[in-house]
Amino acid sequence: MPDTMIGQSPIRIDGRAKVTGAARYPSDVVVPNPAWAFLVTSAIALGRITAIEEAEARAVPGVLEILTHRNMRGTVRDAGFFAAGGYAAETIRPLEDDRIWHDGQIVAMVLADSFEAAREAAFRLRVDYAAVTPAAGFGSASATTEPAAKARQGHEDPQVGDADAAFAAAPVKIEADYATPTQHHNPIELFTTTALWEGGKLVIHEPSQYVTGIRHGVATQLGLDPQQVRVESHYVGGAFGSKGSLTQRTALVAIAARRLGRPVKLVPTRDQGFTIATYRAETRQHVKLAADRDGKLQALVHEGTEVTSRPDPYKVAGTQTTARMYDCPNVRTKVTLLHADRNTPGFMRSPPEVPYMFALESAVDELAVALKLDPIELRRRNDSKKEPIKGLPWSSRGLMRCYEAGAEAFGWSRRNPEPRSMREGDWLIGWGCASTIYPTHIGAATARVTLTPDGQARVQTAAHDIGTGAYTVIAQAAAEMLGLPLEKVQVALGDSDLPPAPVAGGSNTTASVCNVVAEACGQIRARLARAAVEDGPLKGRDPASLKLVSGELRAADGTAEALPEAMSRAANGAIEAYAEYLPQGMPKESMRKLYSGKQALGGGIAEGPLAMAAFGAEFVEVRVHARTAEVRVPRVLGAFAAGRIVNPRTARSQLMGGLIWGIGSALHEETEIDHGRARYVNDNILEYLIPVNADAPKVEVMLLEETDTGVNPLGIKGLGELGNVGTNAAIANAVFHATGRRARELPIRIESLL
Amino acid sequence: MTTQPTPGVVGRRSLLGSGAVSAAAPLLAVAPAAAQPTPILKETAVLDLVLRVNGQEHRLALDPRVTLLDALREELGLTGAKKGCDQGQCGACTVLLDGRRVLSCLTLAARAAGGAVTTIEGLATEDGGLHPMQQAFLDHDAFQCGYCTPGQIMSAIGCVQEGHAGTPDEIREAMSGNLCRCAAYPNIVAAIEQAKPQMAGRRTERG
Ligand code: FES
Ligand code: FES
Repeated sequence: MPDTMIGQSPIRIDGRAKVTGAARYPSDVVVPNPAWAFLVTSAIALGRITAIEEAEARAVPGVLEILTHRNMRGTVRDAGFFAAGGYAAETIRPLEDDRIWHDGQIVAMVLADSFEAAREAAFRLRVDYAAVTPAAGFGSASATTEPAAKARQGHEDPQVGDADAAFAAAPVKIEADYATPTQHHNPIELFTTTALWEGGKLVIHEPSQYVTGIRHGVATQLGLDPQQVRVESHYVGGAFGSKGSLTQRTALVAIAARRLGRPVKLVPTRDQGFTIATYRAETRQHVKLAADRDGKLQALVHEGTEVTSRPDPYKVAGTQTTARMYDCPNVRTKVTLLHADRNTPGFMRSPPEVPYMFALESAVDELAVALKLDPIELRRRNDSKKEPIKGLPWSSRGLMRCYEAGAEAFGWSRRNPEPRSMREGDWLIGWGCASTIYPTHIGAATARVTLTPDGQARVQTAAHDIGTGAYTVIAQAAAEMLGLPLEKVQVALGDSDLPPAPVAGGSNTTASVCNVVAEACGQIRARLARAAVEDGPLKGRDPASLKLVSGELRAADGTAEALPEAMSRAANGAIEAYAEYLPQGMPKESMRKLYSGKQALGGGIAEGPLAMAAFGAEFVEVRVHARTAEVRVPRVLGAFAAGRIVNPRTARSQLMGGLIWGIGSALHEETEIDHGRARYVNDNILEYLIPVNADAPKVEVMLLEETDTGVNPLGIKGLGELGNVGTNAAIANAVFHATGRRARELPIRIESLL
Repeated sequence: MTTQPTPGVVGRRSLLGSGAVSAAAPLLAVAPAAAQPTPILKETAVLDLVLRVNGQEHRLALDPRVTLLDALREELGLTGAKKGCDQGQCGACTVLLDGRRVLSCLTLAARAAGGAVTTIEGLATEDGGLHPMQQAFLDHDAFQCGYCTPGQIMSAIGCVQEGHAGTPDEIREAMSGNLCRCAAYPNIVAAIEQAKPQMAGRRTERG
């Protein structure tokens, strides 16, 4: 057994369950005698329900009940918008009244003895509407705008110096508009919910990135004590942000189960998932970038407008990142919200950075062309020790190391910078690069670790493994701290009855949870050490000097006591430790927020005292067909500096997946909208294009060593959202290199290049 | 866009072919489009059938509209096969029927009666030994969330058995009906290449 588990690449400890079908996802839970729920969602985007004709639906054999606003009004209390200190992904209360706010809003839930009967009855429920012409988004007459800085839960537009004056005076400059589309997460596991009441306790099985948040949110909605609600989500079949906040369906299923006195199971359809959960908001951005003749940046202006719903000010606000990316003395940014008759958008993997870094990293490439400078060299000349807005020092910044290692491995030096200069037969070849950054978030977390006399450890925390490898990396952290082999560690996650842990968002889980687990293990070590120095081989030693290594408690000179003896000296049976970890610099109230299921992540690049982020450089080869303009991506390389890597195997998988997401973002993904009716058109995964196996290129992931204990004691930075930032720009830059055509609107389609 | 479907009118799903319609829309709604509303049957019909799954026979009394996927998951508790779309678009529900891949969400349970169904639960040997494809998926970290994985593995076995795993490109093409939103694709291809030679002479169609 190696002395250290952190940094090893064991096979996922939940892997066997996943390859044998034994892993029970929330959608798989078997409950006795369930009633089945089927949703009916609105056929218009704006207006009112004028009539609901239930007779035909109720005549379907097996139908039990139909919930509509007529029998539900006033039932579900307000749980508050998550960004305003509440729990919900949107403020519209489920089945509260006859008002329709957006396409695909839940207007009824049909309950029946079987899935088939519920579905048939849902199809037979007639809902009549008085429709009003809706605003779909950009270009809609009735859409309204407001500066994000003025919106409820406003943000501050980062700025420094006088960007407009500096831009006017600079000798080399570019100015361009960029656009990014609506995208939907489309995790493969649907947005299912199963609810049952056991005595007075409500048990909810729902794929979730935040079981503690759902517990408290549903308790608020139903007027229950949070202790009466348990949310279980041991595995999650993909989330990417879509399962982070409370959506309308959960309370409805819980209420249905209470009214029917039996478990209720809801399996929404794929298309319903487009409107009953969240999505990535589309943006329009304007960038001005100027430099002196040596390529030193003089001015950055970055303005973005983002679609949100009528009632909720959801903000993407990626200018928080782009304003700080490079050393630039004059920066002005502005974010504007555009309210339309749409469902409320939300977090989707690297929410701010995917759209906004697309614009910035495209603009940097455009500036490099204007300067006739290599784009990597341009970034080198504007690398920084501090972020420019507040002057916060970077805790570490591996960006240029990533460019160096990546460029070498990719063969960048062989690139002819001239557009259209590289060709193979009918295929124009382009090489492009871009930077990625993802702020290092961290949150207050708690965990219980139990060491039993047989040398087994059990870790319990309400964190989540959404495919990231959390089960495994948490086990590795505990194994390392307790000096145990990995197979002696069990990890329980995804249950709101466990000690609370943060939302699986902002790539914080590994950092937050490994640090609290380390703290709990440290308590156990201390207790063992205190007993060991009383008597036995370690008598009289300094307890602080003793370490748990390879199944024993060991002093620096090698003197040791085996774990079973140390255990029996310290306790009669098991030793249990409960730890609370409040990251350095975070306010005490973050811990209270955690216990009440609120979202309270800290860290990042804007708050200080340090600016903390993971960085990377991405290199892409594209091939564009000279006659058909078809774009293919044969290879992608990403070099990343993301602190201490707990498990390189799972880290690589996440970064690889992220890079392929970048291909989807650049070339495939867009939720099309019918502008007249504000309704999604391609709301299925045949027509909403996500990359398939044949789209996936050769992917190379390089993990650079980085030691940064400024971020947290274990030196961990999150990386789950690092790989899919900037990749879209690297592809657009490569397409420019191949064709001489600059695509500023995503996704890049054949028609963009004709 | 979630329309209220009109009985008798088949929407975009008809693109998928008649198999999609019969399984994805209520059976009663598939009558030819007519001005008359589709009548509601007073009682749900019940179909007695025998499903042979992973070598075991199960006698079931089912609503004829029940898909093979729902029969496996809800009647037999075999939840390895996943529901990712219920309309033939994702491949998460892939199982083998007589050794060939089928999308169990597009296959009525009645259609599978008499055949031999193999699901992910039927791959490992009784003493827990993994099928080479399962082991290869573990070795190559060919999944993240794991939700598409049972379908990927069943499809991968089918792909090898059907002789579509000759080259990495051929594998990529043959596996493109199985979506992986986590995008584990390169690792899936590597896993299939590892398992392929170990599968020689082995055929999975226990029913
Ligand atoms: S569930 Fe069958 S193909 Fe998606
Ligand atoms: S592993 Fe998550 S969808 Fe494939």
